[in-house]
Formats: sequence, structure tokens, C-alpha cells
Amino acid sequence: MFTSNVKIMRLNKFIKLLLAFIIFLFSACQKFISVAPPVTSITSTSAYASDATAAAVLTGIYTDISGTLSTSVNKFRFLSLYAGLSADEFTLWTNITDNQGLLYYTNALISSPNLTVGGDFWSSLYPYIFTCNSAVEGLNQPATLTPAVRKQLLGEAKFMRALFYFYLVNLYGDVPLALGSDYEVNRKLPRSPSAEVYKQIILDLQSADSLLSPEYLDGSLLSTTSERVRPTQAAATALLARVYLYMGDWVNAEASATAVISNPAYSLETDLNSVFLSNNNEAIWQLQPVIFGDNTEEARIFIIPPTGPSDDFYTNPVYLSKNQLAAFEPNDNRRVNWVDSSIVSNDTFYYPYKYKVNAIGSPVTEYLTVLRLAEQYLIRAEARTQQNEIIGAQIDINAIRSRAGLQNTIASDQSSLLTAILHERQVELFTEWGHRWLDLKRAGTVNSVMSIVTPQKGGTWNTNWQWYPLPYSDLQNAPQLKQNSGY
Amino acid sequence: MTAAFSNNKESFKDSLLITKSYCKAMQLTDIKFSLSRAGSHLTPKLIRVMRLTTVLLLTACLHVSAKIEGQTVTLDFTNVPIQKVIDEASKQSGISIIYNETLFAGLSPVTVKLKDATIQDVLKACLKDQPFIYSFEGNLIVIKKEASSSAGLKPADSLASSSLPPPIDIRGRVSDSLGNPLAGASVSIKGSKRGTTTDANGNFTLVAVKDNTTLIISYTGYSSKQFKTGGKGEIAIFLNKSNSPLDEIQVIAYGTTTQRFSTGNISTVQAADIAKQPVNNPLLALEGRVPGLFITQGNGVPGSSVTVQIQGQNSLINGNNPFYVVDGVPYFAEMLSTFSSGFSNEVLGGNSGTNSSSVGSPLNFINPADIESITVLKDADATAIYGSRAANGAIIITTKKGKAGPTQVQIGLQTGWGTPASKLKMMNTEQYLTMRHEALKNDNDIPNSSRDYDILGLYGWDTTRSTDWQKVLIGGTAHFNNINATVSGGTGQTQFIVGGTYQNETSVFPGNFADKRGAIHFNINTTSPNQRFKFQFSGSYMNDDNHLPRHDLTATALSLAPTAPLLYNPDGTLNWALKNTGSSSWNNPLAYTIASFESKTDNLISSSQMSYRLLSGLDISANFGYAKLVSNTYIPYPLNFNAPQNIPYSLRIADYSYNTTSTWLIEPQLNYKKAFDFSKLELLLGGTFQQNTSEGQALEGTGYNSDVVLPDIRSASSISATSSLDLTYRYSAFFGRINYIVKDKFIFDLSGRRDGSSRFGTDNQFHNFGALGIAWIFSEEKFIRNNLTFLSFGKLRASYGTTGSDQIGDYTYLNLYNPVAISPIVPYQGQLGIEPLSLPNPHLQWEETKKLQGGLELGFIKDRIFLVANYIVNRTSNQLLYFPLPIVTGFTSISSNLPATVQNTAWELVLNTVNIKSGDFIWKTNFNITIPNNKLVAYPDLATSPYADIYTIGKPINITKAFHFLGVDPATGIYEFADHTGHATKTPDYTVDRTVDINNFPSFYGGLLNTFNYKGFELDIFFQFTDRYQPNTFGGIPGGTPGLRRLNQPVTVLGRWEKQGDITSIQRFSTMLSPNAPSLIEQYGDLQSSDAGITSSFYVRLKNISLSYQVPVKFMQEHHLQSCQLFIHAQNLLTFTNFNGLDPETGNGVLPPMKVVTVGIQLGL
Repeated sequence: MFTSNVKIMRLNKFIKLLLAFIIFLFSACQKFISVAPPVTSITSTSAYASDATAAAVLTGIYTDISGTLSTSVNKFRFLSLYAGLSADEFTLWTNITDNQGLLYYTNALISSPNLTVGGDFWSSLYPYIFTCNSAVEGLNQPATLTPAVRKQLLGEAKFMRALFYFYLVNLYGDVPLALGSDYEVNRKLPRSPSAEVYKQIILDLQSADSLLSPEYLDGSLLSTTSERVRPTQAAATALLARVYLYMGDWVNAEASATAVISNPAYSLETDLNSVFLSNNNEAIWQLQPVIFGDNTEEARIFIIPPTGPSDDFYTNPVYLSKNQLAAFEPNDNRRVNWVDSSIVSNDTFYYPYKYKVNAIGSPVTEYLTVLRLAEQYLIRAEARTQQNEIIGAQIDINAIRSRAGLQNTIASDQSSLLTAILHERQVELFTEWGHRWLDLKRAGTVNSVMSIVTPQKGGTWNTNWQWYPLPYSDLQNAPQLKQNSGY
Repeated sequence: MTAAFSNNKESFKDSLLITKSYCKAMQLTDIKFSLSRAGSHLTPKLIRVMRLTTVLLLTACLHVSAKIEGQTVTLDFTNVPIQKVIDEASKQSGISIIYNETLFAGLSPVTVKLKDATIQDVLKACLKDQPFIYSFEGNLIVIKKEASSSAGLKPADSLASSSLPPPIDIRGRVSDSLGNPLAGASVSIKGSKRGTTTDANGNFTLVAVKDNTTLIISYTGYSSKQFKTGGKGEIAIFLNKSNSPLDEIQVIAYGTTTQRFSTGNISTVQAADIAKQPVNNPLLALEGRVPGLFITQGNGVPGSSVTVQIQGQNSLINGNNPFYVVDGVPYFAEMLSTFSSGFSNEVLGGNSGTNSSSVGSPLNFINPADIESITVLKDADATAIYGSRAANGAIIITTKKGKAGPTQVQIGLQTGWGTPASKLKMMNTEQYLTMRHEALKNDNDIPNSSRDYDILGLYGWDTTRSTDWQKVLIGGTAHFNNINATVSGGTGQTQFIVGGTYQNETSVFPGNFADKRGAIHFNINTTSPNQRFKFQFSGSYMNDDNHLPRHDLTATALSLAPTAPLLYNPDGTLNWALKNTGSSSWNNPLAYTIASFESKTDNLISSSQMSYRLLSGLDISANFGYAKLVSNTYIPYPLNFNAPQNIPYSLRIADYSYNTTSTWLIEPQLNYKKAFDFSKLELLLGGTFQQNTSEGQALEGTGYNSDVVLPDIRSASSISATSSLDLTYRYSAFFGRINYIVKDKFIFDLSGRRDGSSRFGTDNQFHNFGALGIAWIFSEEKFIRNNLTFLSFGKLRASYGTTGSDQIGDYTYLNLYNPVAISPIVPYQGQLGIEPLSLPNPHLQWEETKKLQGGLELGFIKDRIFLVANYIVNRTSNQLLYFPLPIVTGFTSISSNLPATVQNTAWELVLNTVNIKSGDFIWKTNFNITIPNNKLVAYPDLATSPYADIYTIGKPINITKAFHFLGVDPATGIYEFADHTGHATKTPDYTVDRTVDINNFPSFYGGLLNTFNYKGFELDIFFQFTDRYQPNTFGGIPGGTPGLRRLNQPVTVLGRWEKQGDITSIQRFSTMLSPNAPSLIEQYGDLQSSDAGITSSFYVRLKNISLSYQVPVKFMQEHHLQSCQLFIHAQNLLTFTNFNGLDPETGNGVLPPMKVVTVGIQLGL
């Protein structure tokens, strides 16, 4: 039907068409596959390219820590509760069947594939450390940040990293020391001896001390403010004092504490009821509440309503233990002002009343206090006692006692003073950030105290239980990590 | 019955005319009528053909003629137009004569005088010396211009029979029974090796053929025909659609085929089977019907998630979704989720796919009534053309298309009732009290009013009442109502269908809950008169309004003590059963019905295909597709959702989320078809450009002053955005396919493609994939045909190919920071914080799956027994997953490629038989079974990897490592397990003592369908069966040590240890938390992780019974109905199982699948 010419013409046409089609598709396919980053996120490069976004990275950590207790991720905020349960500060409400509360309370933490309780702080602090590490790396890149902002943020990142490692090393013992953001490095890290971790904490805090602003800064990091919600040089010094104390470096502990105490920005509040108010004179670093309608979650959880403790572990699960109540000397104003009670069908439940505003929607008057001056007095008292500066130590401890309406201490030698200081810490710093649990371990009294207390709580004490277990998933995902003994 | 052809390629613009002997010219739309008069025996077949034909008809104005054999005519005309003579001859003889109406234009009038002449004589006389030829085939005579102008008129001689005919050239044309040309039909000479295939217009020529030979003409989807040339040089052959299921059209990627000529592993479920099942989600209609396809329903709640796996789990952890295509448009496999975990809506159940936080299934928003067929593509040959997107197989949903014919209206009404298909026998109050008191006694304890009020009858707990909480909380009857109407019709050139459905399904939960949906569907097809341009447009839209309790109350129903308080106070408010302290003694389950879940979803799917014939056999075409799923969810938390003691510390909250997912697609294609002697070639070259965008935000309002204003976000005193989403995914591909069929016996199918995905870093965006499928229809071989006459069909096929997967999150190669998610947030120092989102991995690559599959298809006794057997070996490597990391790295995982290889093998068997076919009675059986086997083939350094504890080389990838349960220690009544040395222990060690590997994949599954037809009755009985391991009552909910306060238990635990020496498998009752006795919680937990907690559960479910009755024709005629069918459908009617739990399919904690019975009527007007 067709001549061969027509056929060839058709074939040519066909081949040309085919080639055009192929070339078009090939080039189009290549170009098509590239997408812009989502508008809901910013890339790490741009995050550290401007003052506001770089500051937002650190602000993100404060926001998260200050956030609600009911989020499953952020367990750092549970420290006052969990460490208080582990130690002798709280009694768990008898109807609580929640494993979390019960196992912390009975010092029977578990780390196994189908039940793991005790790894909470490990799991919540390392992500913060990753953010700090990323921030340090990002801020160290040549960037367009205002030098003052960059300096402050580097200081904040190092300060926060030191804070997190401080709690890790005190809750878990030896811990991996992740200082960068490379997961290939970090996933293979073994647990570093705690001495090494402390060394790093000191390095970070010294660096933070020189980087952080002496003044409180606002969200722009360029102007000062009366809001004590961002770490300052004093915060770094205060934490440094604590870390030196924990390390037994009495000279430096005393020096650092002195630096804070002599800072005119801080003074002990004479009214005990002012100690946890926002931006009070004693506050060195506080966290601004970030939940709409809330003051502090501490008030919400600890204050027992007229209906009594709740069967729900996340509502009002605990009240102050007999041990804690018995620790107060007669006429201690802290027993009056910082402890309150609810009487529920003839049972009296005493609860911590440092934070007093639990009603939702109340004006915000209280901030969660992380570092406060009273602790610095007690740090210096202890450091001075260890150096046999008895009088100086007595002055410091009496500063705290007289504020509580108590007579001067009668302890006058090193050993009785150390006991007095430990006791003073118990009644001054109770249910705050696990001070009691850490002090027991630091002072070496944990076995003697807990072997009495744990059976009262329905558990069995073993010296292994002073260290929380590593989360099972990390043992699985990083075989070089070894579990704490006993678990 | 229309005809449309020409042997001149340029003459398409001339429309054709068919005269009808005794009636006026009729429009195509009247075909059915005319046919039923002219030859009623043809009607059903032709109507069916019309339904199945998607090729557009050629002409606008056609006339039809019917056939009556052996008629003679008497004519007496002088100087009249030829047309008139022919019309008269046709009229007298009753023989249809087809010709182009302009054919005789300009010809001089003729004079014809004949008596009792045959029609051949008439034509001979009329067309003498004219450039026309005609052919005579059965019922039709076709007159046309002669192909070659040089050729003279031959018919007169060729029609005359001759005893010794010389070799002749045979020219012919092959059409379907409607006259549409069949391109690529094979024409061979019987008893010789010669043959040819038809060209694009259905024409063929065989040169120098012995006269009186027999031609064998065959074409995909049609019954082959033998044709004796009988000296005719010009012939027209009309093939009828085949009745064999082998020749049913199967939709494949970018085309169609039939089971006969398919080289791939493909299964199809037709509309009729879907329509018999009252389901919301079309996927549920596939359960048990397709070998290799394993479907599990998340729960029985309308709108819930469905897990789909084709030929096993290829990817270790994520990315096992098949590729869904609706009318050529890629469809969403998962719903979006922008809710933070605290406010997710758990009632619909989670997905097991990439996005584990998503709930529900997007397939819920496709109306089953609009679906024409669902095709499941399984092997590489079938799926390779879809490339990486179809690494886990493809599910192609084809919606109903318009068909030519008179306008028809179909109306369906259906109403039904649903209840949960399973129930667990729980303790009554007497048994419960026995258990609780015994537990206290075992623990050396006495009832304490502060915690044992459930057995003391305090605060509204009542030991004299025995509530069946399953009856109260999930025992309602769901009402199911469905109305459906479609209008369809069209001419040869343009066809349409428009359908609408409204459905309302209430829930079994207490309260006023329902899933309401309205859907419309339409399709239009059109073709240009010259048939070069074709256009098809389809659209479906659904609006779904789902209102449910936020929480599936099933788990609560199974755990509430039978002594638990009344739900309501006498004044109608929720009863919180306050203790004397003023705090509630229980969580009233109906709080979740106050904090309800309302989801409104709009789903639009539209697609269009257009093609243009550039040259003969060469078409350029493009598919355009757009789909958009918009879902708005509203979850209120009114103040009285909270227990009274919590109200002072609670705010009114409402969550609103708005999600939009859309996808668009452009696919330019070139198609080339060429028929050679004995072989056919099809080439396809194409490209895909696809973009998916997902946008969403979730807002949370707090602090409303009244419950009434919760729906309005403006009434909130604080509003925060709890999440936001913006994802873009782009995919492009360049692909080609060659399909070559030799002698209708050997089939080769080769495809290759280059895929690009935006999910990878720039170095790894592109990857090449390819597949080869071959098939040999050995029953076409002479020696088999002659020697094995009982074998009506036999085909061997094999395919091998590679596909890939990019099913991992978007942007995982980027290092991103997101705002800190806290709600309702007060910005810290007025600033919103940001935090790292995940660990980036710029080195991600494609996951690759190699599929090797072989199949054997055998038909016996005219295909009355038909067997299909497939064996598959699929291997997936370079696993794309979220690799677990220690949290020390800051995150628990990183998106990563893992050098592990997973192998899935399976036997898939299908046996279809027609057991009885006598008179009006037909009994057919369809049986399918799949026996899968999954194992981890390779994993370098598994022992030192995070997966050391999870996987074992050579074992399936979802084994559970479990303790071996030994029983209860007769001395103490405590569970005992075997340690790794085989000794009994009460405290097994997780690291070494989990010695049993339990395979959680099904060991086999399938279905059995029996269909009985008798006169107007049709009865379908469909059983579905599965054998797999499931967590039983100990491994799932109800959980907790029997004896624990306020927790009911199944009656099976009554066989517990009571006293020393008891031999039993249930440990002693314990309140678990008594200071006076050791806690048995650890042993109870170990039991759940033992081979007593996860047990083999085989079940056979009477998945569907459908009885329908077609009303007799007489009745319909009296009531002017085209069709009228009455039916009863029942889903999940009975379940036979050894499972010791609530339901063997959905497990324990969730609402079982619904047992639904519906009655209805389907009317055709």
C-alpha cells in the first residue's frame, strides 16, 4: 500500500519524534527532582546565621525544661519528684499502681525489654546535650552573628551542657561524654569515668563563666532585663561552686560561692514566702513558666487538694514523708511556710508548699527556681568546714538558720558542722531538684539512711540502687555501654 | 450493532451507513432495542460486549440491519439510485448491508430487474463495473470502496463456488461484534505456518492463499474463530467477546491485558464481588480473595486503619505500603497526622506504615460503589513499570466508566444492622468477687476501704449488680443505610456515567455517633470522529463526616469490674462515684463520648487521559491526575470530661486540625503497536512527573468560658498552634516497555525505568530498575493440543526484575530545626524556641527489591477446572529504615540504609472450578491459599548491632523472642519458665532465657468462595481463613495479674492455682501490690513475653454471604423496569477459631470487626 519512500519518511519521522520525546523526558526528569526545605522548619545553616534564630535554639531548651510534666519526653522536670521518691522525702499515695512512681519509690528500678523505669533522665538529658553540642558547633562557625550575642549563646550552651552532665554523672555514675553532634562518634562512646566527666563540666563552666553576661538579658540578648530567666555569669559561678564542692575542691568551691554571695545583685530574702517568687533577690536562675494558665507544675503536683492525693500518678501522687517532717527543728519557719497540709477524712497529708499557686489561670507570680543564693551559703559553709574555717562556716550556716527563725548552730567542730550542714541542706533544699538524693550519695550516708527508709517504703535496699539504670534501648543500640551493677 | 471500517486509511472522515431492511434509521442509542427484535439470542452477549468495550465507536450516524438467512428478493427498479436498490434488497431479505452513506454519491442510477434472486445476485447486478467490493460474513454484508484503484471488481467470481479454485489473495477485516476494528488480531492459515496480523484498522492481507482454506482468527479478550474462505477474497470477520475468565480484561500499569496473555502475577476483583460486601473501605472487600495479599483490619470502627501487605514484608521496619493507583492517579497510602502525641485520636487505630502516628486509612474515602475493578499487581513484571513506588506491589483501582447504549438509571437501596463480630466471656460479679477475695487472701491482706471499694460495695460500686460492660459500652447496634444511584449511557463517540451515593453508619458505642458520607462519581469518554483523538475524564468526590468517641471503649469494656458504678446519676449527669474525700473512684468511660472526635474529610480524585494518533500504530498520549484529601478534625475537651476533683485545675480545651494532602501527576507517553506475520509488538515510552504536597496545622484553643462555644476557636482565650506541616515530595521517572507476542504462544515483556526521588540527597536521587517477563502458552503447541485434549489451557510464565523503595520521610537528608512543641505555650521571654528535628543523612539511597516469580496456569475441560500456581522469591536489600541509635546521640534513630537482605518466598495457589453446570443450575468454587515464608537472609555483624536482640539470620523478621512457659509451680502457684539450660525458673533472664522464636507472620491464609446460581437466584458463600500467632488474653488486654483491684478478667482465669499441688496454667490470684506478699507482677509480665502469651490462632471466618434474586423478566416488563434485584448481604457472620481472646483478626484491645447484615434492592430503570 505504501511505497518504500513513504515508509522511510515515516520511519524518520518516527525516530525524530522518539528522540525528541526521550531527550525531553530525560532532561525534565533530572530538573524536576529538587525541592525546597519545608516552611515549617529552618536548616541548621540558617539557624546559626541570625541572632534571633541562634538565640531560639537555647530558648528552645529552656522552654522545653520549663514545659509541662505531662509530656512524655521531658522527664528532667520530674527530677524533684523522682529523686524525692528515691530518697526519703516523699511518701507515695497508697493507691498508686503506676510503675513509674512505684518503682522509683521502692528503689526497685528495672531496665528490661518490656519494662524499663529509671532511664528517664538519661533519655531526656542527652537530647538536650545534642542541642548544646550542635549550638556550640554552629556558633563556632564563621557567622554573621553580633559578637555579644554569639558570646552569650556560647556561654549558655556550655553552661547548660555542664548542668546536664552534672545531673547525669550524679544519677547514673560514669556516663558517655558526647561533645559533638556526629552520631557516628557518639553512638560508639563508652562510659567515661566520672572524674573525666567532672573535668569537662569544669572546663565548660569556666568557659561559660567568661562568656556569659554578668547582667540578665532579655530575649534579644542585647538589652538587660529584670527577668532572671537566662543564665548569667553568676549562674555559671554558682554551678561551678556546687561542682567544686561535689569534687571536693574546697578552695575553689569557697571562692566561687564567695563570688556569688558577694555579688550585690543577690541577697537572701528575709521573708521565706518570697524565695520562690519570680525574680526575687535570692534567685540566681529561674525558668519562666511557658504553659498558659500555669505558674509552676510543682505547685500543681505537690499541693494536695481537699479531695486528697490522687490515684493518678501524674496528678497529686505524693506527700511529705515522716522522715522529712521529722527533720525540721521545732520553730523552724520553713516547716510553717514551706510545708502545708490537707486533712482528708481524718488523715493529714503534709506537702511541700514552696510553690503556692496551683490554681489554673492565676496571675503568674512564681518561677521555677533552679539556682538560688541559699545553696551558695551552704556550699561555702561546707567548703569552709572542710578547710577547718569553723567560724566562717558557722556564719554561713547561721545566715540560713536565722532567716528560718532558728538559733545559731551549736555545731562547732568539723564533723558536727558537716552533719549540721547536711541536715540544714535537707530542710532548706527539700524537694528541689533532687538535692537530698544527691547529698545522701555524696556524703556517703546513702546506705545507712536508705537501708532503714527503703524497707519502710516496701522495698529492699542494696547499695547498687543508688545509681539509676541505663535505659534498656541504649544497651541494645550501643552494645559497648554496660549496665550499672545490680540491674 | 454497528460497523465501522474502511480499507482506506484516509477515509475515516467519511461516516458509514448501515441500512436496516425493515425499519428506519436508528441511532446507536437504540441498538439494544433493535437487536432484541432482530435476534434476541444475541442480546445478552452484545450488551455485555458494549459494557466491556472501552474503544470508542467510530461513527455518529449508523444504521443497523439484522440477519435472516436464506431469503430471496424480487426487485423491479428502473433508473433508481443504487442505494435504493440495496435498501430494498436488504429489506426483503432481512440481511444487513453495511456501507458508507456517501459511498454511492455521484454514481449513475441503475436498472435492476430480478426475481427470487439471492442477495449476491442483487449486489452483482448493482455493483457491476463499479469500484466497489463487498464481503459477506454471517449476518452482515459490507460494501466498500476497493482498496487498490487498479483492482477490478471481483466479488461476483469469488462468490461463485468453484470445484478447483486457483490460489487467491485474501483481504479481510477483523472487528468486534459492534464493528470496531481489532488491531493486532492474529490470522493464520490452518494447517500451515503462514499467517499475519491485522493492522490498526483491523485489515489484513494474505497473498496467494489456496482457496477453501480455513483461517484461524484470534484476538486478546475474544473467542477465536475459524473461517472457511470458501473462495471469498474479501471477508469481514466479527469476533465475539470471550466468555472465558481467561479473556477478561485485566488492568495493568499503563494498559490492559488478559489473564491469557499476561506474563505477570496479577489478580483482579470485580465490581460485583465488591458490591456484595457492605464495607466502607474497599480494601476490606479484598480480604481473603487475592492470593499474596494479606489484609488486616485495625478495628471495627468505621473509618479505621487497614494494614495491607502484598507478598510479605519486604522492609525490616517501615515502608511496606503498596502503591495505590486510582484511575491512573497515585493515591495516598496513609493519612497525615499533625497532632502531637497527647491529643491523637486513638479510636481509629494506628498504621503500621512509615508514619506510625497517622490514623485511619485514606482508602476509606473511596466509594466502593464507584469501583469497577481492583487489580493487585504483585511481581516485578507487573509492577516494574511503576518503579520504585510499587516495590511492595500495586493496587490499581479502576472506577466505573460510561458505556454506549440507551441511558440507564440504576438505583440501589440498602439497609442493615451491625454488631461486633466477637465477644469475650468475662467474669460476672460472683466470679469476680471470688477472684478478688481469693487474691487478698493469697496476699495475706484484708479488704481496705480506701482501695478495695470494688468488692466492699462503696461509693456506688455495687456487689449485687453484675454489669456486662461489653454489652453496655460496645453492645449497641450500628445502623447501616446506603442509597446509590447512577445514570449512564452514551453514543458511539461519547459515553458518560454519573453516580451518587449517600451512606450513614452509626456506631455500637453509647451515644449519638455516626459516619456519614456522600459521594459522587462521574466519567466521560469521547473520541473525535476520525478516531485519532481520544479523551477520557473521571472524577470522584466524597464528603465524609465521621463522629466517634475519642477513645475505643473496647479495652475499657473488657477491664471494668462487673461491680463498677452506674454510668449516669439519676439527674442524667455522668456518675463519677465520688469517694468520701470528694475524688472520683473510677474513670467514667463515657467521658470519652463527651470528648468526642469529629472528622470531616473531603476527597477529590480526578484524572484525564488524552491520546492522539500521530501515525498508524503510533499514539502520543498523556495522563493527568489530581487528587486532594482535605481533612478537618475537631476534638473538644469540655470541662465535665474531667473528674470533679480535677475540674478546678482544668481548662476547657479544643483541638482543631486542618490537613491537606494533594498530588498531581503528568505522564506523557508514546505508544507504538505493530503487527507482523505471526507476531505483535507493543512499545511504550513514557515519563512521570509527580508531586505530593502535604500541608497541615493543628490548633489548640484553651480557656473557653463555656462548653457550648468549644467549636468556635475565637472563643478561646489562648490559641496555640500545636503542630504544622509542610511537605513536598517529587518523583520523576523515565520508562519504557516492550511487549512482544509470537504466534499467541510466546510472550515477552521487557521494561526498564530510571526513577528520581526528592527524598534523597543529590548524589543518590536517581536509580535504574528493570524487569523481564516471559510466558509460554504451551497448550497452543500442536503436540499438546492433539495429545492432551482434556487440557484446554496451559501457560508457564516467569518474571524477574528489580524495584526500589523510597518510603522514608521527606527531607531526611536535611539538618532541620523545628519550633518547640508545647501547648498552650507562653513564649519564653517572648521568643519561640526551636530544636533540632532529627539527625540528617545526606547519603540515603534507594532500597532495592529483586523479585523472581514463576507461575503455571492450567485449564482443564474447557477451563471448567482452572488452576493457577505461583512461586515467588523476593529479596530486598539496602534496607531503608530508621536505624536505632542510643539516645546518647541525641536521637533514637537516623534514617539510614542497612545492608540487610530480607527474603519473602511464597506459594500462591488458585483453583477455580465449575462443579455443576446443568440447565439453570450452576455451582462454582473459587479457592485460594497463600503459604508465605519470610526470613532474614543476610545481615553483616548482626551480633554487634542494635538488632542483635530482635533478629536472627534465617528467621522471619518479625519474630518475637519469648520465654518457654512451663506452667505453674504446684507448690507456690507461681508461673515458671524454662531458662536457657532447660531448668525451671520463676525469674527468667531476658538476655539469655528467651529461647523460643515466635513467627508473627501468618503461616497461611486464603479464601473459599462457592457461588450457586439457579434461575434468578445467586448465592455466594465466602470463607476467609488465616493461621497466625496472636497475643492472646495474656499477651494483650485484658491485662494485669488476675486479682488486681477493679480489673475484670476473662472466665478462663478461673482455672487458677488455688492450693498446693494444683496442676494448672494460671498462677494464683494476687492483688499484685500488697505489702504482705511478694509481687507477682514480674511473673505476669514474663508470661506475656512467653509462648503462652502469644499463641497460634487459626480462624475461619464466614466473611460474606450474599443472596440475590433477579426478578423475572415478565415482572420487570409489567413494571417498566430494566432490571430488579433483591438481595441480602452479610459480612463477618460467623467465626470459628481456637483463639483465646476477643477476636483473632484484630486482637484484644480494640473493637472487633463488625458483623453486618444488610438487605436491599437494586433497580434499573
